[in-house]
Amino acid sequence: MLDTVREVHTPEGVALRLPAAGPVPRALAWLIDLAIRGAALMAVSIVLGMFGEFGGGVYLIVLFVVFWAYPVVFEAMYGGQTPGKRALGLRVVSADGAPIGWMASFVRNLMRAVDMLPFGYGAGLVASLADPWSRRLGDMVAGTLVIHAPRERLRMAAVQVTPLAPSAPLQTHEQQAVIGFAERAHALTDARQRELADILVPVTGARGDAGVMRLLGIANWLLGRRA
Amino acid sequence: MRQEAFVARYAAEWDAFEQWLDAREGSPRRARATRRTWTGLADEDMPARYRRLCQQQALARHRGYSPQVTARLQGLMQRGHNVLYRPAPPPWNGALRFVMADFPRLVRAQRGCLWASLALLALPLVTMFALLQVQPDLAYGVMSPGQLAKMEAMYDPAAHAERLARESQTDVQMFGYYIWNNVSIGFRTFASGLLAGLGTIFVLVSNGVVMGTVAGHLQAVGHGGPFWRFVVGHSAPELTAIVIAGAGGLRLGLALVAPGQLRRVDALVRAGRDGGRLCLGILLMLVFAAFVEAFWSSTASLPDPVRFGVGGGLWLLTIGWLWRGGRGVADAR
Repeated sequence: MLDTVREVHTPEGVALRLPAAGPVPRALAWLIDLAIRGAALMAVSIVLGMFGEFGGGVYLIVLFVVFWAYPVVFEAMYGGQTPGKRALGLRVVSADGAPIGWMASFVRNLMRAVDMLPFGYGAGLVASLADPWSRRLGDMVAGTLVIHAPRERLRMAAVQVTPLAPSAPLQTHEQQAVIGFAERAHALTDARQRELADILVPVTGARGDAGVMRLLGIANWLLGRRA
Repeated sequence: MRQEAFVARYAAEWDAFEQWLDAREGSPRRARATRRTWTGLADEDMPARYRRLCQQQALARHRGYSPQVTARLQGLMQRGHNVLYRPAPPPWNGALRFVMADFPRLVRAQRGCLWASLALLALPLVTMFALLQVQPDLAYGVMSPGQLAKMEAMYDPAAHAERLARESQTDVQMFGYYIWNNVSIGFRTFASGLLAGLGTIFVLVSNGVVMGTVAGHLQAVGHGGPFWRFVVGHSAPELTAIVIAGAGGLRLGLALVAPGQLRRVDALVRAGRDGGRLCLGILLMLVFAAFVEAFWSSTASLPDPVRFGVGGGLWLLTIGWLWRGGRGVADAR
């Protein structure tokens, strides 16, 4: 299985696309969280150190909360993202694509105790490499999934040129590719535009800049623009 | 319909939907507060707009419109989906009901695992205790002489310390330690059940053996008095919580080994959901036990009848709570 995108059909009959996140970004997110937790504990211990043994007791309670509750609270309250996951653009969701709730987050983080075995998240790594959606054991038990949060991309309209009807009918995916080219043309260098357009000499019947202009014209025609 | 015409016809709708999401998806509380001043898409129209958007998205995908259009519709659709299908906020006002009724019922529902867990903890404990009364040297086969000597010193009847079972630590320090240590053990007892139940069985048996060894050894060397006086107070909530954690772990292991009529992963999800709720109750029980252990059990000045009376009372309360709690209460679901 090369494609890690899981498609879940909603009750409305459309597909949610959930691109599952692999072990590497998740491990990095975990390391960031570890650093944040370590820093927070360090700061707390400096303050509590002034209170002697009383402070030592409070410190252990804080340690307990930071160890067990930190991921649960962030995942349940901030849209399935701990600070580390936010930095890496990851998000925890239910297996059906819905946002994660308190109980599911609690269970998936309780199960870290098993995923950490025998050392360094070994069990979790093996599970996530074997699973088509790279879930660790805790994700399986809690019915959750870690995905790459969808990124907001800049929307650009296709370049406006005089429309030109294609010499031969194009199939749907070919039309998509041509329109996609016109929409991305802003972001491409002239040389790259020519290179891409030259692939389609059989369609445009021209090379170089003329080919690019013709291809953009065809895209405009396909979009429904008419001279 | 060509893409350009499609976009021109519906773009205004999409923009309105996007503005609604930007302004109102984040916090339901803020959305309620600004209900009267909000002038965009009305809240009650949002589900209908969402379904319309889903249909437009399906059309766009089917007709092969460009990635830009389909990606935008897909993004809006996912955001709308997240708003409509987010889980309900935790029922804080049901917390008391959970403690008094739902948790005891959930515990009773795990009857079989509960008895198995109890046996796995109690049998080694009682066996070790009885064995050590006959053959005291066996203790050195389980624990090192150093550990046993430390135990003997902690519960030395000759030492007239103000605090039982303490060297110099304060109550708050021990409270923190008991919370960190005991609750973590409780959670791990449950979670390690995922290893086909073996992890839980190991934790239960080894805890039973160690507890039986310590108790049996101290009894055999004549330090039993301070030991029993110390443990009687918090034993009820602590031991029951560990047994319940073990039951949750065994249930999880069974879901993996013998999922019955369900798919294995579905059985695991169910056992995990119940286990998570069990762990909430275990957390409460162990924090209470830690409180008793830190602030009550160690007080050396208490007379024995009070001490054993309270300990026995807590046993009765714990068992009564788990046995009768939530009987006759209508089911929440």
